[in-house]
Amino acid sequence: MEDSDHPARILLVDDEDYLRNGVKRILQIEGFEVETAENGAEGIKKGTEFDFDVALLDLKMPDISGIEVLRMIRQARPNTICFMATAYASYETAVEATKLGAEGYILKPFTPDELIHNIEKGLQKRRLILEAERLKADREARLLELAFERSRLNTIINLLADGVLVINQFGEMVYYNPAALRYLDLDVILLAEEILEILPPEVKEIAQRMISKEKFEVMGESVQFKLSSNPDMFVEVTCSPIPDHDRKKIAGIVIVAKNITQFKEIEQLKSQFVSMVSHELKAPVAATIGFLDILLNPKMKLTDDQRSDFLNRSTARLRSLLTMVNDLLDISRIELNTVKREIVKIDLASLVQETVEMMQFEAAKKNITIKFSAGEIPFTIEADRLEIERVITNLMSNAVKYNKTDGEVLVSLKKKGAYIILEIKDTGIGLKPEEKNRLFSEFFRAKNEFTKSIHGTGLGLSIVKKTIDYYSGKIESESEYGKGTTFRVFLPEKILNK
Amino acid sequence: MNYEKKILLVDDDIDILEQNKILFEAEGYTVETAETSNDGYEKFLTFKPACAVIDLMMEEYDSGFVLAHKLKRHPLGKKMPVYIVTAVANQTGLQFESMTPEEQEWINADDILNKPVEIEEILSRISDFYENQSG
Repeated sequence: MEDSDHPARILLVDDEDYLRNGVKRILQIEGFEVETAENGAEGIKKGTEFDFDVALLDLKMPDISGIEVLRMIRQARPNTICFMATAYASYETAVEATKLGAEGYILKPFTPDELIHNIEKGLQKRRLILEAERLKADREARLLELAFERSRLNTIINLLADGVLVINQFGEMVYYNPAALRYLDLDVILLAEEILEILPPEVKEIAQRMISKEKFEVMGESVQFKLSSNPDMFVEVTCSPIPDHDRKKIAGIVIVAKNITQFKEIEQLKSQFVSMVSHELKAPVAATIGFLDILLNPKMKLTDDQRSDFLNRSTARLRSLLTMVNDLLDISRIELNTVKREIVKIDLASLVQETVEMMQFEAAKKNITIKFSAGEIPFTIEADRLEIERVITNLMSNAVKYNKTDGEVLVSLKKKGAYIILEIKDTGIGLKPEEKNRLFSEFFRAKNEFTKSIHGTGLGLSIVKKTIDYYSGKIESESEYGKGTTFRVFLPEKILNK
Repeated sequence: MNYEKKILLVDDDIDILEQNKILFEAEGYTVETAETSNDGYEKFLTFKPACAVIDLMMEEYDSGFVLAHKLKRHPLGKKMPVYIVTAVANQTGLQFESMTPEEQEWINADDILNKPVEIEEILSRISDFYENQSG
């Protein structure tokens, strides 16, 4: 076939030399590429091997008849346009040749114009056939692609974690995925089943209103509710109208149902935390204002001792407020992972020793003895020094603060596998079993007759736990109410994946 | 109706406790203070106050409710006003308006007041309470 970089290719099969050469010349002058065969066998060989655009076959040849050559070429190359050339044509051979797919007869002798005219006609036909074939192949490929696309889409929607339900403008089910049943509280539904009545009332109300609208509007609507069959599950359902082909009316609704239980839980925890923080921040402010109001009240008859006592206590409350705000900022830095750390090798034994010495003053007030024991082996870890110092200080200061007069604090370092174990054991007031679970939560402080005079923010252990978590360590506690508490901190020697 | 000017204050914040003590004393009250629910109940039995003002959040977030319930169940407590004070009414999930009548009846406090409380407000409530009783 003719294309931009190739002339049309013509096969010429004839046993007469002069005719073959003459025709070949005529066609070459017209710009065609010509291949010749001098008998039937050669014609079949060449015509089946290569897809010629047009073949001109002599009907009468000594070895194999032109009809046979036609049959073989048409079989192998159905798109090659074949003409029969002959001096005499009977009706029978004409019918047979046409049946076998010959394009036409060119009667010998023919003029160059007749020949060219026929060849051009044949080439045009060939172009049409090939174009039709290309379109057919394209269409088949597209259909295949479409079917594949549809099944892939089905698979995707079926695997979606969110529920998807599509209804038409009559409220009949058109499509759904398994999650839709779960989050819309439905049992089995059938195709074309009228579904509005069995939808949760919150969804039914929106869907009904949407369907009844005369005009299509691009307006989705969402609602959140608990499932009546499972009140622990919170879902958010969004209904979006589907426009019809001219975007004027509503063709149906897509209903997407999402499980938002976890989100709701987090939301509740957050608001609980916010109210706890505001309560804890408000208390020292209220106490300070209370003192200042009394100090400023001219009706109050206060002694100088009372005045200075109230001012001192106000200062103490404000200081504790400042500590609390700083602790809260630290917690949020740890949680947001915006802490600037300088990871270095730390000799834990000497760090613990320094902290023990620092605590002696506080311990002496209640006549508490602090004992520290560690083996001769080195106890090194990789961490930020200030952070680890704070963990040790918080735990030791708790062991002193919550201890009894004449009590003891036993501190030790051990090594187990790739971990260093820091143990801090006190002979203090201990924890009740119900208090143990809340030990590491923000603002938890054991409140009883022993602890009422002990000050603290309730954030120390929370910071300790979050820090140890960061270093992929672990903290354990053992406690007996009235007897004492033991904290055991496991820290890896080498910092992991940071 | 006459009543002895005796008031019991229960709060786990000793600063607040002392401030209120001074303020009520300036109004001619004899004041007893307690820092825990248990201590509050003991003092109530021995001190026999004309009124109790209880902080809501002490050992637990609702300790004040439990103590109010105990006081109001006692023969002595039935005849006196018990007020719960709290700083958390506005910001927390605790919405007192949404408590069921059963819950309110169980707690049985005469009122739940927002912290910080005005001494004058409590004084006028106490006198209203005893006037209604005599009338």
